Parts: sequence; structure tokens; C-alpha cells
Amino acid sequence: MTTLTEAPVYWDPYKPDFWMNPYPVFRRLREEAPLYRNEEHAFYAVSRFSDVERGLTDTATFSSSRGDVLEYIKANMDIPSGMFIWEDPPLHTAHRSVLTRVFTPRRMNDLEEKIRAYCARCLDPLVGAGRIDLVADFGAEMPMRVISALLGIPEQDQEAVRERVDASLRTEAGKPMDVSQASYKGAGFEEYVDWRAKNPSDDLMTELLRAEFVDETGTKRRLTREEILCFVNVLAGAGIETTTRLIGWTGKVLGDHPEQRAELAANPGLIPNAIEELLRYEPPGPSVARYVARDVEIHGQTVPAGSAMLMLVASANRDDRRYPDGEHFDIHRKGPPHITFGRGIHACLGSALARVEGRVALDEILKRFPTWTVDLDKAKLSSTSTVRGWDNMPVFTGGNGQQGAKAKVTGGTPQAGADLDGASAAVGTETWELTLQTPMGPQVMTAQILREGDAFKGTMSGEMGVEHIDGKISGNALSWTLSLKKPVSIKLSFDAKVAGNTMTGNVKLGMFGKAALSGKRI
Amino acid sequence: MAKITYVESNGTERVLDIASGVSVMQGAINHNVQGIIAECGGGCSCATCHVYIDEKWTEKLGKKSELEGDMLDAVCDLQPNSRLSCQIEVTDALDGLIVRMPAKQV
Repeated sequence: MTTLTEAPVYWDPYKPDFWMNPYPVFRRLREEAPLYRNEEHAFYAVSRFSDVERGLTDTATFSSSRGDVLEYIKANMDIPSGMFIWEDPPLHTAHRSVLTRVFTPRRMNDLEEKIRAYCARCLDPLVGAGRIDLVADFGAEMPMRVISALLGIPEQDQEAVRERVDASLRTEAGKPMDVSQASYKGAGFEEYVDWRAKNPSDDLMTELLRAEFVDETGTKRRLTREEILCFVNVLAGAGIETTTRLIGWTGKVLGDHPEQRAELAANPGLIPNAIEELLRYEPPGPSVARYVARDVEIHGQTVPAGSAMLMLVASANRDDRRYPDGEHFDIHRKGPPHITFGRGIHACLGSALARVEGRVALDEILKRFPTWTVDLDKAKLSSTSTVRGWDNMPVFTGGNGQQGAKAKVTGGTPQAGADLDGASAAVGTETWELTLQTPMGPQVMTAQILREGDAFKGTMSGEMGVEHIDGKISGNALSWTLSLKKPVSIKLSFDAKVAGNTMTGNVKLGMFGKAALSGKRI
Repeated sequence: MAKITYVESNGTERVLDIASGVSVMQGAINHNVQGIIAECGGGCSCATCHVYIDEKWTEKLGKKSELEGDMLDAVCDLQPNSRLSCQIEVTDALDGLIVRMPAKQV
């Protein structure tokens, strides 16, 4: 009898195209080699949730002081002071404490309106275009504007900053990161820091210049110029690249799961949990590395001090031991939290900002583009060692190539498609054809609405001409009234629920009873 | 050991036996109670383990540290009975404690 034996799992993270779908290999690692050793590239890796969690929280064993990028740890680089993600306590504790109160849930939620405005700036010009790039046209823009505004970088210089950061994180396909790419010394930011020191403002850079903290020697002091430059570099890099990837994955994964996307379009209250599931399913930072500072036993083997070890966050997030049916994407998942933002003292400082940006971005996308189809042939996956995601994410959105939404004229309704001034409809306008089953037979009207948070404004057109309306939004439910003067003076009260491109509900016809309402988006 | 009632924001009640010595936060995470994130793992630095203490218990808990007081300013929807659950250690004296999760942590 012969037995078919499979070769032991071999994982080369530098193999081109590996990162397109790493999950089958990660699964094999979890099952067959939970402590994995790669001799060729001289590293260890852990892939199960419990081991990754331990690797991130046991900072005495798994040190950040040689860096958190595999190649940098092996190169034994000097770490400049201020690069706090690459520091251990007590220096890390002192540095991070300066920033803890900046990126809090409350302060990041206060940015929501600003974030919404940046989203609108990027997305409004795209409505009706028919084919848009969720990364190039949006995901690469909005996070950059937000973190740059926080940091006080003047608008005209933000593009150049983003390009510089991008270049520092890019690797040639299949090659490890070059140590010379490490741009942690903040080159290019000096002029802003010096200029801001002379022109203080209400921003993070001014706060950093003024902040006092107790350093690892117990001395109360301000940050040095070097330290500030490092901080700014870390925040700019982390604040842009990662959130851009989250938006790209939002486009890809929801494009692959249109039924769940339709639920989100109809019920925006589901968005926060969907963002958590997107973060779990495709984390923008799929792995981090640590320097093993002392001998440690893992799954019965000793990992010697001096080793470099990868914590496979993207694998931990799929571990069935913690996430039932972990390879399945489910916006309704009620599970334990993911580990995408890390755990413990180095847990992502910007996680609250990422969550607010992610959720507002998805909300604003769905308001304008409830459906899309990914143009996968033209989508390009980024080639970087530390961050994983899309350089571009082109999608077909079903517009007809013309700017703005325009209504079709239906069954004798005059003036449909224009507001009372005769100007064309604002971008973001939704147009609905509504049919009311009245006692006098079906009546067709057209509604054009523009949403603003939990309210909307618009017009309705029909036999009565064109009238202004405004109403309320609650989840997927819309309600509004319309007062008619002819043929009789009557107040119509509409209650409707939106599901994708259809609307159902009823209309109270003053004191003449109720009529069923159906609508379709046009 | 203490029997703690965790009330999720949708009203679901989870009545759980939590060992003494762990934090109220850790008890929630261990039992997959919905509504707590706790990314910093209990270090009083992320403000995402925010809970509301039932009014019968607010006076019976230990006083909050200056650090917790500071970080509480960082939560969404701060109320007089707000606490960071990673800073509350479970003891026998907390048997019967009721805590409510906020509608959102972030």
C-alpha cells in the first residue's frame, strides 16, 4: 500500500504573486507548522491567533527595539530616538504618552464632518462617470488630506509628501525591502517643522513642538527636533498608506459580495460592523516582525535569542480557533475583536481615526454608488513588504458617462429632472419613479432627493407640477410630506423603505385613506 | 469570583461568573461579550473598553486613578457613571455588579 505524502509546507514571502491570495498557505502554516522556520531567509513565523497575540504582548521576549520590519531586524540597524514604534519600554512609554491623548475616539469622532467634506470633494466629481478608481480617485486622496490637515502640512505640499512616503514603502516585486529605503529620519519634513515653530497654529505639529513629557531618565523636557521629525514621519506614513489600503479592500471585498453590499446600502447602521469585518478579513498590515530578545519555547521548540520572527496578523484573523468559519466574510459577524491593529503597548495609535475614516468613506461611497463591478484585470496589487493592498481599484458604477444625475421624464410629468430654478440637479441626487395605488388608479410621480445625514431635501414632480420636499432618514426608511393644492387641498404623508434600487411603502392621502407605494431608482 | 451582568447595547444580558483578579474588561473579552474593543490590552491608553456602571454600584467600586480620569475624557458619550473596564479588578465584593456597554466605542 502506498501513502500519498504532501511535501512539508514551504513559504517564501518574496515569491511574486504570493500576496494576491496568501490565505491557503497561511492555513497550512496554522495546521502543519504553527512555528514555522524559513532557513533561506532566516526567519521564524507564527500564524495562529494565540501565538500572534502572545508575540505582540510579551514585549520582554519579543522586542521592537530592532525595528518591526523583518529586513531591518536582520540588518541590525541603529534606531533613531523618536521612532517610537521601534522602541521598548521605558523609552516607548515616554514617547507614546505624548500622543495618546491626540488620537482618541472622541477627538477622532469630532473630525467626522471634516472627513465627510473631504470625501464629498473626492467623490462628487465622479458621480455619473461610469467608471471610477476607488483608490486613485478617492482612497489615495482622502486619508492624505485628513492626516495632513491634522499635521498642519499646507495643502499644496500634501501630494509631494504622499509620494515620498509611498516610495519609502515600496519594494521591487519579489525582493526584500532595502535598508536604505528606511526614511525614518524625516527628510523633507524639516522645513515644515521649522516653519511651524515660527508660525504656531491649532494643529498636531504645534502640539508636538510644545509638548512636555518625562523621558526615560526621569527628566521633564520637550521633544528634540529629531524626535519630532520621526514622529511626523511615522504618523504621515501610517496615516496615509494603511487607510488607503482599507478603502481599496472595501471596494474589492464588497464588489465580491454584492448581496452584503446591498444590505449596507439599504441600512447604513450596519456599516461600523462591516468595517470591523473588512479589517479582519483583509488587514492592511498583514504582518509585523519582532526581534527575539531571549530564548523562548513555542510549540515544543526553542527559538533562540537573536532570531527575527514574523507575527502573521492576517493569518491570526482567519484562525478558526477564534473566528468560527474564519475564511468567510460576514458583515453580521458577532465575534471577538480582530487583531488588525495589534494588541498591547504598540497597538495602533491611529485606530480610532482609521475606523472613523473607513466608516465615513464607505457611507459616502454607498450614497453615490450603491453598486459597482470591479474591473479586476486593471486592478494592481501593491508590492510592499509591510502594507498589503491595491494601487488602484477601478470599478464600473453604471453611470452613463455624464456628470450629475438626470431624471427621465415619465408619463406626462412635466419638468421632471429640474429643480424649481431650472438648473440641473446637484451631484449626489437620487432620482426615483414612484407609483401610488390611489382610489383613482395608479399615479406616477418623480422624486429627486439629496441626502444630508439623517434628513433629505428635494423635489417631487407630477400632475401638480414641481414641489419642494424635505424629509427624514432613519436607517433605510424615508419619510416626508407633500401638500397638494389641486385638485383638492390634501397633505400626502409618505413612508417608504429603500432596498437597493427599489422602494416600498405607503402614502396617507390626507383623510382619504392610504395608498400603496412602490418606487424604482432611475 | 463574582457574578457580573454585562448588558450589551441592544439590551442582551450576559450574566457571567468572572474569576477574581482579572479586570471587568478581560471578563467581557473572555466570554465574547459584544461592545468592547480593548486594543491596548488593559494599559489604560486606548479608551475603547468604556462601560457604564449601574447606579447601585458606582459608589462601591475603587476610586479611579488620575490616568483613568484623564483617559475617560477620550471616550465617546461620557456620562457621570462612565468607567474604563480595564481598570476595574474583579473581587468577591463585586458579586452582582451590572455594567452596560455604550452604543459605540469609536
